[in-house]
Amino acid sequence: MINFDEEIARFKPSLEVGDVEDAIGKCDLTDMTDIMIEIMKAAKED
Amino acid sequence: MDNAKRNRQVANGFYNLGLEKAKRRDLTGAVEYLKKSLRFDKYQMDARNLLGLVFYELGETADALMQWVISMNLHPEDNPADSFLEKIQRKPGQLEKENQTLQAYNQALAYIKSKNEDLAVLQLNRAVEANPHFVKAQMLLALICMSQGDYVKAGKSLLQVLQIDKSNAAAQQYMTIVKQNTGREEAEQKKQKNAYSHRQMEEDDIIIPPAYKESSGWSSILNIIAGLVIGMAAMFFLVMPAITKSLNASHNQELISYSQKINELNQELDVVKGDYTSLETEAGQMKEQLATIEEENQARLNQYQILIGILQAYRNDDLMTTAQLFSMLDASLITDEDVLAIVNAIAEDMTTNGYQTLQNMGTAAWNTGRLDDAIQYYEKSIQVKPDNTSAMFLLGRLYQDQENTEKANFWFGKILDEFPESSQAERAREARGY
Repeated sequence: MINFDEEIARFKPSLEVGDVEDAIGKCDLTDMTDIMIEIMKAAKED
Repeated sequence: MDNAKRNRQVANGFYNLGLEKAKRRDLTGAVEYLKKSLRFDKYQMDARNLLGLVFYELGETADALMQWVISMNLHPEDNPADSFLEKIQRKPGQLEKENQTLQAYNQALAYIKSKNEDLAVLQLNRAVEANPHFVKAQMLLALICMSQGDYVKAGKSLLQVLQIDKSNAAAQQYMTIVKQNTGREEAEQKKQKNAYSHRQMEEDDIIIPPAYKESSGWSSILNIIAGLVIGMAAMFFLVMPAITKSLNASHNQELISYSQKINELNQELDVVKGDYTSLETEAGQMKEQLATIEEENQARLNQYQILIGILQAYRNDDLMTTAQLFSMLDASLITDEDVLAIVNAIAEDMTTNGYQTLQNMGTAAWNTGRLDDAIQYYEKSIQVKPDNTSAMFLLGRLYQDQENTEKANFWFGKILDEFPESSQAERAREARGY
């Protein structure tokens, strides 16, 4: 049998259209290439 | 091969896997792979656009918009996301309607947290009716129905979820429970067993046709009775359930429409309540403004009354009353220019001559032994001319004579602290003794 409260806790609120702009501003777009560039920069500085 | 190129290749690989999953309607799996693809290469336009499409298919319109807007920012030229965004925004009110669906789901979630499951069901019914592809809303509705023991309704929602997102693990788990509780699982198992229970025909097997018998009169009657019984049974088992089901369906539909009407009325009530609150606030503000205006008018009226008193006392050469009333006058509240000119003339006379007359009257009173009158005259003289150090010194001396050292030192100290350069400063220091 499922535990209702546990299952409910898994449901998160959906992003609303009015919040899209904020969400884009907070979105982390860092990809693997960015991370590698940062690592290489740090290695050169050392 | 440089790192960037390698990352692009890995991203392409994940995109292909995501695309494959999306084609097979495993949308949860597709989201996972497409996100991985973008983690390796954020410029993978196809992966981002497809992720937006998958979100849109799952009913997450805002998440879809977010991905397409980011996609358009990273690739402003020749980007299919442009047409996706245009299609959503082209139809007037479409975006607003989809946003209301998202809001209804969020509201339902809030209701569940505050244990208002009935209201949550109403909101979720609204959400899934507006967008049957809204997987999260369907899942939440199914979960609530299961908790309330309505496994049939839960099953309908879960069926829709699994048609949209075939490999949704949670939906599959819920569906297993629903089948167990509706007896569907047993029926399916039986069906599967029967499907494999037929024996393959072999060459030696013979199909024996049923023998033909001439039916007698009794057997005809028996056949007719059996036919009638079968007909009645068919009526009872086949037609009646269909009629009952159709009636139930129409009742359910009616119930849903009433629920919607109640919901709409509640929303209207909320709006009216909001209007009432804002009107009440406005009324409060207006009352406050009225009270302020009344207070201002009263204050202005008081000032005119004081002015009349001043003029009366001034005409009677009653400098004491004039000074007393003058100290109470707030000329800033008098707006009439003619009246203000009179006030200024009296003020000028009081500050140039009046203070000296009051001081002289104080000294005369002191000389005739009327010490209390003298104190009042000196104090009024200081009120009219706050830098009148002579009156302050005389007042200090008068208190000294009365052996009231505390008040005497107050006035000497005032001269020394506030007017140390005045002609009375040295005398005050000597009188105070330090």
